[in-house]
Amino acid sequence: MLRYTVRRLLGAVPLIIGISLISFLFMQLAPGGPDAMFARSGRMSDEQLAAIRRSMGLDQPVPVQYLHWLKNLLKGDLGTSYVQNRPVTTVILERLPSTLILVGAGLSIALVLALAFGVLAAVRQYSLFDHIVSAISFFGLAMPVFWFGLMLQLLFGVRLGWLPTAGMHATGETGLLDLLKHLALPAFTLAVGTIAGWSRYVRSSLLEVIHKDYIRTARAKGVRERTIFLRHALRNALIPFVTVVGIDIPLYAVGAVVTETVFAWPGMGRLFYDSLASRDYPVQMGILVLSSVAIILGNLIADLIYALLDPRITYD
Amino acid sequence: MGTATQPGIPAGEQSRVWSRRRFLTLIGATAAVSASGILAACGGGSNETSQTTPTASGDQPGGAATPGGSGGESVQGGTLTYVTNEEPDTLNPYLTQLVVGFDILSLFMESLLEADDTGQYGPRLAEAYEAAPDGLSYTFKLRTGVKWHDGSDFTAQDVIESYNMIMNPDFGAFNQQGWEQITEAETPDDHTVVFKLDRVFAPFIANVGGTYIAPASALTKGIQSFKEEFGRQPYGTGPYTFVEWVSGDHVTANANPDYWQGAPKLEQIVCKFVPNSNTIAVQLKSGEGDLAAYVDAQQYDTFVAMEDKRVIETDSQAWYHLDLKNIDFLMEKPVRQALDFATPKQEIIDKILKGHATISVADIAPISWAYNPNIEPRPYDLEQAKKLLDDAGWKPGPDGIRQKDGKRMQLELWGIAGDQQGQQILQVIAASWKQIGVQADLKFQDIRTLWGPEGYQFTETPTACGFSWFNGNDPDNTFYWHSSQIPDSPTGSGGNLPAYFNPYDMQDQIDELTERGVSTIDQEERKQIYWQIQELLHEYVPVIFIYWNKLIFVCPKNLQGFNPNAFTPLFYNVHEWAYSA
Repeated sequence: MLRYTVRRLLGAVPLIIGISLISFLFMQLAPGGPDAMFARSGRMSDEQLAAIRRSMGLDQPVPVQYLHWLKNLLKGDLGTSYVQNRPVTTVILERLPSTLILVGAGLSIALVLALAFGVLAAVRQYSLFDHIVSAISFFGLAMPVFWFGLMLQLLFGVRLGWLPTAGMHATGETGLLDLLKHLALPAFTLAVGTIAGWSRYVRSSLLEVIHKDYIRTARAKGVRERTIFLRHALRNALIPFVTVVGIDIPLYAVGAVVTETVFAWPGMGRLFYDSLASRDYPVQMGILVLSSVAIILGNLIADLIYALLDPRITYD
Repeated sequence: MGTATQPGIPAGEQSRVWSRRRFLTLIGATAAVSASGILAACGGGSNETSQTTPTASGDQPGGAATPGGSGGESVQGGTLTYVTNEEPDTLNPYLTQLVVGFDILSLFMESLLEADDTGQYGPRLAEAYEAAPDGLSYTFKLRTGVKWHDGSDFTAQDVIESYNMIMNPDFGAFNQQGWEQITEAETPDDHTVVFKLDRVFAPFIANVGGTYIAPASALTKGIQSFKEEFGRQPYGTGPYTFVEWVSGDHVTANANPDYWQGAPKLEQIVCKFVPNSNTIAVQLKSGEGDLAAYVDAQQYDTFVAMEDKRVIETDSQAWYHLDLKNIDFLMEKPVRQALDFATPKQEIIDKILKGHATISVADIAPISWAYNPNIEPRPYDLEQAKKLLDDAGWKPGPDGIRQKDGKRMQLELWGIAGDQQGQQILQVIAASWKQIGVQADLKFQDIRTLWGPEGYQFTETPTACGFSWFNGNDPDNTFYWHSSQIPDSPTGSGGNLPAYFNPYDMQDQIDELTERGVSTIDQEERKQIYWQIQELLHEYVPVIFIYWNKLIFVCPKNLQGFNPNAFTPLFYNVHEWAYSA
């Protein structure tokens, strides 16, 4: 297993470089550039404009720009943000903790509830509970996040006044309770969308396993229902689910833009979106590399857990 | 409604089985009950229809100042939370490109002069200034006893270092206007600065007087430090000191007890960044936010309905218009005038902006001293428009679209993607133009595409684009119309975009007028020149002028001293703000 892991990690390096190259090229394809606003500001002479483009490295041909970026990356330097004039590493690391908190909380809730709902729905197939969970799942999958977030804000923030409506902390507060209050609504919004998909997945996975022959055999042998369920059914049903979760978690780290926007949560999703809008290439590339690494790692961990859960699977 | 038996499920479990029909009936009933519940809950939110008329909430025509808030005693202390939808790119006064950057900086920094609510300049960090009669030198007498937040004294050296940084070619300042005219800078003593120019430049006072002065103690640390450190931790001579900037979240400022105009009453000001305008409304409603600025006209009613908030409306210097690329049929004056007749400006103001705008005829705001009140906007007259086009030889073709010499009257109408209000406006215009036989295809792009080399002004087909220009405090409009401002390439600088392919018929005339406009410091003489320019613009219609935005602000009812106008940054008089008792 160790050799497998090392091989996978080594294979990740050319993969990340390939991803970064393609991303870099796509970025250049987007019309306009980070200097577009300067040109229309009315205060810039052409010499000034040229100096700014030089400082951003935009006067060089695209392959040269990419190699320059890659060279810096291998030294651990992600470059300087065009917009903020600060190292990209600092910019990203500032937002990372808040993202981890939001995604961690939201997906933990989602995981627990998705498992609960999925399992109960499968075990009580076609019952009222199953139908309700299905209906909620479809609702959750179809519902627009910004609308749902707004409804939560109006209900819990304005109408009832129980929870704050946006931001990570109240002014001057740093306490845990304050953080949890601010976290409640955005984490829940994030969770609802995720539960929908995950619970369906757990349900169908479990249903497939429950009807298998070996379950029937175990039952015929007189094994207790609970043991059958935990040791045989659930464990086998979770295997494909682990893969899904392994990839979803890093995706949410950069993909929770709408939730972060509605609740003014200072996370990386918003940072990424803003950097796209302002053509802040260094920040874009930095986040892309970071999320590629996270997704590859997530995938790897999922595969390793896969091997732990399924004795039929060995790596060498 | 029988319960169907499901195969594969033990008989004893069948009673738990719900058929789809049984289930859907239950859902229908539950939905009906909960919908009425949710609607009742929403009714109290932002969907209320407002019964109050605009004047009831204290809005102020023409930016005239009436300090608001319940009169009487004010209390010491309190926190004010300003909620804004944009985060500053940087808080470096010479690099920030965003209004929010300038606004937040007005908490910490000050300029030599300050505009009043009619746009005339008076003292701030300079207690007096004098322009030589020939307009070739300006003397600023600086205030004494003013201290920077780091304890050092404010002196002429700070002004000189600021000037050096702004003009430093390795720094890349966003705006050198006015400063680039200086040929010599002298400091006869610690509190006097003399700037010499080699030609008369009337906007000098507005440009130089309105720039934030930065501390020499930070400037002398070098360009890199000034860019990075000062940009994240600014300090100045202003009424508030910088506390922290949590990226993506907020900026905090504490009252400066040693402020030279007196310690401010409000203890703390927090600027929160909330990117979604609905969330901003929710925050103000729940009381988590106190102040909002530059609110959309379409949200006016939402804010007016908030009982503990006051809505203030002022005129602005932002004019929404349609750039018409000077190419093909758009080069013909009668065609442009016809398009002007066919643009339903008042309808746009009434229906889409709910009345929160004023019709515009040229590029100088009604609140400016240089405004020409004698120009009437063209009325909305489709018949007149059709006649102009007929007379110019453009006849409707078989599909209703006008043609001449085999060319169709078709153009692309560009707008900013994501700007809902702008999209509605452009749709109305396109529909109206269709009626006179002009085909306008809508196209929405994000702002960096619009201004980049693939933007509307650089394509080879006729285009128009709807957006707002924001005027500075000086009426100088060289940037919009002078031939030197025509970009020489798609990545070049300049604001005279419509003339990129072909200069206007009136280009020589307007070049001469704009040059004369800045070459005299006699305000009466300048006024006459700008009146002429406005008449020229109205006659030739290089762009279609539509409306002047209104600036809409929301503040707590018990906030005294809040008195915004179009000429100053948001916190210009924050040291006078206080909550009433």
